[in-house]
Amino acid sequence: MYRLKVNGQTHEVDVEADTPLLWVLRDTLGLTGTKYGCGIAACGACTVHVDGTAQRSCVLPVEAVGEAEVTTIEGLSPDGKSHPVQRAWVELDVPQCGYCQSGQIMAAAGLLAGNADPSPNEVRDGITNLCRCGTYERIHAGVKRAAELMKA
Amino acid sequence: MTTMPLSRRGLIKSTALAGGGFALAFALPLTTRYALAETPPETSRVTAFLEIYPDGTVRFLNPFAEMGQGVYTAIPQVVAEEMDADLARFIVMQAPVAPEYKVLFDGTLRFTGGSTSVRGSFGAMRNAGATARAMLLTAAAERWGVDPSELAVENHVVRHAASDREAGFGDLAQQAAALEPPREVTLKDEKDFRLIGQSPPRTDTPLKVNGTAWFGIDTKVEGMVHAAIRQCPVFEGKVASIDDAAARKLPGVVDVVNLDNAVAALADSWWRAKKAVDAVDITWDEGPLADFSSEGMLNDQMARVDETGVPAEDEGDAPKALRGAETVVEATYVLPFLAHATMEPMNCTADVRADGCDVWAPNQGADSVATLAEQVTGLPHDRIRVHTPYLGGGFGRRFIIDYAAQAMLLSMKAKRPVKLVWSREEDTTHDYYRPQTVVKARGAVKDGRIQATHITVVGDGPLRRHMKQFLADPDLDESVFEGLVTKPYQIEARRTDYVYHEIPVPIGFWRSVGNSVSGYAYESFMDEMAHAAGADPMDFRLAHLGEGSSARGVLEKVRDIAGYKKGIYDADGERRVMGIALHESFGSMVGEIAEVSIEAGAPKVHKVWCAIDVGTVVNPAIVKAQLMSAIAYGLSAALIEEVTLEKGRVQQANFDTYPFLPPDRMPEVVAEVLTLDRPMGGVGEPGTPPIAAAVANAVFQLTGERVRRLPFGRRELKQVEAEGATVKG
Ligand code: FES
Ligand code: FES
Repeated sequence: MYRLKVNGQTHEVDVEADTPLLWVLRDTLGLTGTKYGCGIAACGACTVHVDGTAQRSCVLPVEAVGEAEVTTIEGLSPDGKSHPVQRAWVELDVPQCGYCQSGQIMAAAGLLAGNADPSPNEVRDGITNLCRCGTYERIHAGVKRAAELMKA
Repeated sequence: MTTMPLSRRGLIKSTALAGGGFALAFALPLTTRYALAETPPETSRVTAFLEIYPDGTVRFLNPFAEMGQGVYTAIPQVVAEEMDADLARFIVMQAPVAPEYKVLFDGTLRFTGGSTSVRGSFGAMRNAGATARAMLLTAAAERWGVDPSELAVENHVVRHAASDREAGFGDLAQQAAALEPPREVTLKDEKDFRLIGQSPPRTDTPLKVNGTAWFGIDTKVEGMVHAAIRQCPVFEGKVASIDDAAARKLPGVVDVVNLDNAVAALADSWWRAKKAVDAVDITWDEGPLADFSSEGMLNDQMARVDETGVPAEDEGDAPKALRGAETVVEATYVLPFLAHATMEPMNCTADVRADGCDVWAPNQGADSVATLAEQVTGLPHDRIRVHTPYLGGGFGRRFIIDYAAQAMLLSMKAKRPVKLVWSREEDTTHDYYRPQTVVKARGAVKDGRIQATHITVVGDGPLRRHMKQFLADPDLDESVFEGLVTKPYQIEARRTDYVYHEIPVPIGFWRSVGNSVSGYAYESFMDEMAHAAGADPMDFRLAHLGEGSSARGVLEKVRDIAGYKKGIYDADGERRVMGIALHESFGSMVGEIAEVSIEAGAPKVHKVWCAIDVGTVVNPAIVKAQLMSAIAYGLSAALIEEVTLEKGRVQQANFDTYPFLPPDRMPEVVAEVLTLDRPMGGVGEPGTPPIAAAVANAVFQLTGERVRRLPFGRRELKQVEAEGATVKG
């Protein structure tokens, strides 16, 4: 039994110690906004925040989460649209199929939380999530726009 | 103005909704053909469903699946145009399986793919919108006792200027529902379009920024269990025996099921199911393909390049012209198997009961899911419901619904709803691959002109494999040779031979299908012929394109937006080249120019300029996004993707061994959308075929090496040192 803090709520989950946080979120807690792409930390579809830092939840065993605060896409903003990254994403219509976008948005929000004005190179190095639909250019434009919105 | 007569009465039914709105079931003749069928269509019934609620909300049931390509925006955009409705008030949902939603190919088919949705349903969707508008207008005229001609409709509101009255669509809906639908509707003149040709916001974006968009993998059904699967690593192999004792003891495990060619474990979470299926000791009977190797098959294909096949095109006497020619260019191109690698792995949820079944299947053809369900469950058609979620990528993979059959079988065994999710490894090793193909090209060149070409393609195609019924002649599988024939270039003698070489492993439709092969081979060969002629690749192509043709217009446009430079030039301290390619597919002409340098032995693509002629454009922003996406997909394949098989097994498994284009290799894309004189063309795929050749053509100039086998990543490239070094083909 593990006690997890997710999006401001505490949950008790009865899972094995090595269960990746991703599957606890998706199947035990029903938070399916966080996606499975590879399970080996190669794509970033499963990105969530752990104590404010973007992490790939498919390789994070639940026992390693401990007391940390987990934030998923569902908890990024109270209304599901007001975080500057979400606003920028809507403004620029960043997603295509959308499957990677929860992870992209969490990676972008994590980057901006630590660096409010990243250079293009910092964005490139900071967000390595894969997108099969090739939305990379709009992701980069979206991060730039979100940084502006954060300043405003 | 186009007047659309309705052939019979009663094809449009309106029904009052319980909540006071109205629903329209349209059944309209499809009178406009958009270059899809070869024969003019009979009058067909085309049906779509619109529901208008008292608050003005319009529920639109879309026959097409949204997989990123934008049909949840572009299709309702067309309806809203004719309806004079506010697109922002549309709720777009997926239509269920019903004959009314077969809106393609003369009302006979419903599928999502082939870059077909918008162009194939344009007329039908315009009719739907115009009919709804006419009924709302009539309702207002009756209410106010005025002549309909005195009314105007704008942005969800009907107005009577003379008496300064107005009513919203929601307000009029109930009254409109009681009306007999009009016998004929009038479509707008294209010059009056206010929405078609614009880029309103996508309807699906808000759901895709907060985790609420429903993908198949997110399906939750009361009483559901999760399933993970291991399929025989060798195609056509079977389970010989299993020992599942250890697996069954693991926590949360409900059952272990032998599916004959696969083993699945059912548990209360996917992770537990996955651990359980991994714990099953399986002995495989590897079957007839246990020794299959893709390299071995390639050798066999290479040995057949000079065979006479079935002529896919034969104009003039190309073989004779080649025999008599002074300068003959010959080249053989090799293209590997490719995986689709959709970000969302294959998955399906099925609930098969004694009295019916529900299937939640990411798919590119809902009707085929229903047919499959009839076959697998034995239930009658009317007891089957198919639910189509948002697709986390399709690219042609989800036409083949092997995973849906598995989910149904598992639900039948478990007697409860089952959600089956393939691991990434299963997804990569059990795809329906872009076929490995060999293309040999021969060309006679004289005085800067191509006298003759003779091309032979050796391979197998997904149309013959999966949809044989659509081939007029099964020996002429156009999914293999499309893009090698009916080229825009003026060449007098042309022959294309198709040598059928059966591929024993699964093959399927991969974004742009045969064009992903032909775009690379043909356009690489154009550059090889230009080189033999001593001509610049741009000049050489233009010399073979007719004045005023779409191809010429597109090539000139991309030349101009790129500021095309001949040969090697310096930029940012690097030697760079602009490589060109031009390819027509799915009714659209695309020209691309890639600016390339060589970095660490690999092509570095800095920027891609792209021009497309689509004839008529509905949503330019979506077209541009699709071009970017299609270029990323094609470039990824050209640079790094390859599926190989040894001992009947796919050698790649996850994104570490089957990587695709990462963000730092994505070039900047500049796209220009043209509407020259052609019927409306497709958008989702045509950007993919040219990119590999554009890069290969630049690489040739930079390195003197012809990359005739993809992907580029197979070997290290060396830049030539001397300026203008002579290059060998
Ligand atoms: S699913 Fe976690 S990185 Fe791909
Ligand atoms: S939007 Fe489809 S994978 Fe990124």
